[in-house]
Amino acid sequence: MFFKLTPTTGQPLYVQLMQQIRHAAETGALHDGDQLPGIRTLAEELVVSPNTVAKAYSELEHEGLLALRHGSGAFVCVKRRTRSLADQVQVARHRIRDLIEGLRDDGLFDEEIHRAFEAELLYPAQVLRKR
Amino acid sequence: MLWYKAWLETRSRFLTCAATLTLFSGIFVHHAQGLLRPEWKSDFNRLLFINQQFLVIMWVLSVVLLGMGGIIREQAIGTSSLTLALPVSRRRLLGVRIGTGVLEAFVLALVPWVAVFFVSSLGRRPVSITQVASYVLLLVGGGLVYFALAILVSSLVSGEYTAPALAFGIVLLAAILFDAGLRQLNVWRLVTGDFSIDRTTYLLSAHLPWLGILSSLSAAALMLLASTIVLQRRDF
Amino acid sequence: MTNEPVILTHALTKSYGAAEAVRGLNLSVGRNRITAFLGRNGAGKSTSIKMLLGMIRPTAGSGTVLGKQVTNPDENRDLRKRIAYVAEDKPLYGYMTVEQTIRFASAFYTDWRRDLEKSLLRDYDLPLQRKVKTLSKGMRTKLALLLAFARRPDLLILDEPSEGLDPVGIEHLLQALVAQSAEGVSVFFSSHQIAEVERIADDVCIIEKGRLVVDASLDQLRQFYRRIDLVFPSSVAQREFDIAGVERIQTSGNEMSVFASKNAEGVIQRAQELKAISVEVAPVGLREIFLETVKEN
Repeated sequence: MFFKLTPTTGQPLYVQLMQQIRHAAETGALHDGDQLPGIRTLAEELVVSPNTVAKAYSELEHEGLLALRHGSGAFVCVKRRTRSLADQVQVARHRIRDLIEGLRDDGLFDEEIHRAFEAELLYPAQVLRKR
Repeated sequence: MLWYKAWLETRSRFLTCAATLTLFSGIFVHHAQGLLRPEWKSDFNRLLFINQQFLVIMWVLSVVLLGMGGIIREQAIGTSSLTLALPVSRRRLLGVRIGTGVLEAFVLALVPWVAVFFVSSLGRRPVSITQVASYVLLLVGGGLVYFALAILVSSLVSGEYTAPALAFGIVLLAAILFDAGLRQLNVWRLVTGDFSIDRTTYLLSAHLPWLGILSSLSAAALMLLASTIVLQRRDF
Repeated sequence: MTNEPVILTHALTKSYGAAEAVRGLNLSVGRNRITAFLGRNGAGKSTSIKMLLGMIRPTAGSGTVLGKQVTNPDENRDLRKRIAYVAEDKPLYGYMTVEQTIRFASAFYTDWRRDLEKSLLRDYDLPLQRKVKTLSKGMRTKLALLLAFARRPDLLILDEPSEGLDPVGIEHLLQALVAQSAEGVSVFFSSHQIAEVERIADDVCIIEKGRLVVDASLDQLRQFYRRIDLVFPSSVAQREFDIAGVERIQTSGNEMSVFASKNAEGVIQRAQELKAISVEVAPVGLREIFLETVKEN
């Protein structure tokens, strides 16, 4: 498994790790039942604080993606819920791709598009959407 | 392990001084006694007395050098952060340094006189053990105050050369001033046996100046106490 | 295991005459975390650390490390049994050999680990019989670090540990710190290497002119610090942005650059109210946070 954490992107490292693990599960790089490296091993490999790995694993366990078994490590559980989430993400990515192509056609540079997304994401949700 | 460190730090100084003092005493007495006729008993005793005069100079120099070093000096060379981070009290650090120095000072007083004992026995001029013991006792009992002075100076001054120079300066000054004013209280004269020597037989009196020795040791203790207080309060 | 801080100070102060090297320091370093201590040269980092270790007596204030009072010499000696500390200049006794140095240091600590000592000696490739004064600077640094890493203390305190190390050495150092942290050792280190700090630190404390100016987790810093660049149709006064979280504003004509420690949404909202033509939000790296924070003070 190849994870790459970037300290300067304004996102907590544990969030980045969570996203990359989720992404791996969605795209099938990680299958149901696969074992992730132990907290210490992964921390030493990525050269990040063990607390970062621990928090990512713990949050993913909350979400149901990982099952932490004391002593044996972290195991992936790709449930049906996660799969439908993966499908939703796929659809969303298509929509975003179309939007970005449109903005590029309008003459915006990628950096500007990125910053515009960031700014808009900081707005509180206009409507409370149920998950 | 602190004793080991103190030994490593003083080892070369100690061994050099021990060799020097022992060789000097042995050779001096051996050579000089050869110039004396067997029946000149008091001349022989006077020889031993003269040996003590030389020995005192070298011994005091040696113990002052042995008293150098310590945490203040370590701060100047940059290792105090290592030593002070150890889980030992400053009192203990100083105590081990003092203990090592005292033991070394004692050996430095003993070994040269043991050499003299053997040299004169071989030359068929047996020396009484009491005399040897008395000379050693005068040296250590009266002279540890010089070591204590060195410890105190090295707890205040960090220079590699300024500390011993200051200590030697005080030793010299004290000897001169006491001689000028309070001759009876001059430790130097106590240590050389000046107060205890019989000028006809040149034998040390059986009654050693215990009061003088006690006072000298008390002064030493006070100086060591002062050193402890200085170190406890110091920031590194 | 309790969750009380491994280091907790209350108004810790050190003055040298009229000059205050450390003033009113309220440090709280979490257990089982990697905490970085940043500050300019002379800001008071080393003085603070030395007060914790009993080498300097505070002028005022108090502190505890591992629950023991730092100002009590006996308690401080006890806490030093469970701390591994490497000073900035990586001190070693020049007259000892590598082997003697290790034998000396290991005798004082019950948490010494022979297995770690052996593997580190192998990794660092240190010649056992050479006297320390004949070693190169890099080897001396490694030996000084070995004395700390061949142990499993409760707390590891390092003052500028990467100084004197080449990039490979720095990588090994970071891995060693991560390994220690994974074993339950709390790590507190000061550093000028912001890039390294950003990778492994959980929490960051920034000290400037003797005072703590930032005390937060890196996650919080990453999540909330933002730089917002705005362009308005006409020039706007800085006081319009006197809102929570705004730390520093720079204006140039119709352009404004806002450095915010939180509440970026509030800044954007105000910008929109003032009819901003362009709103750009960017994350802020630790280097910029550090520079902006010490500039401000």
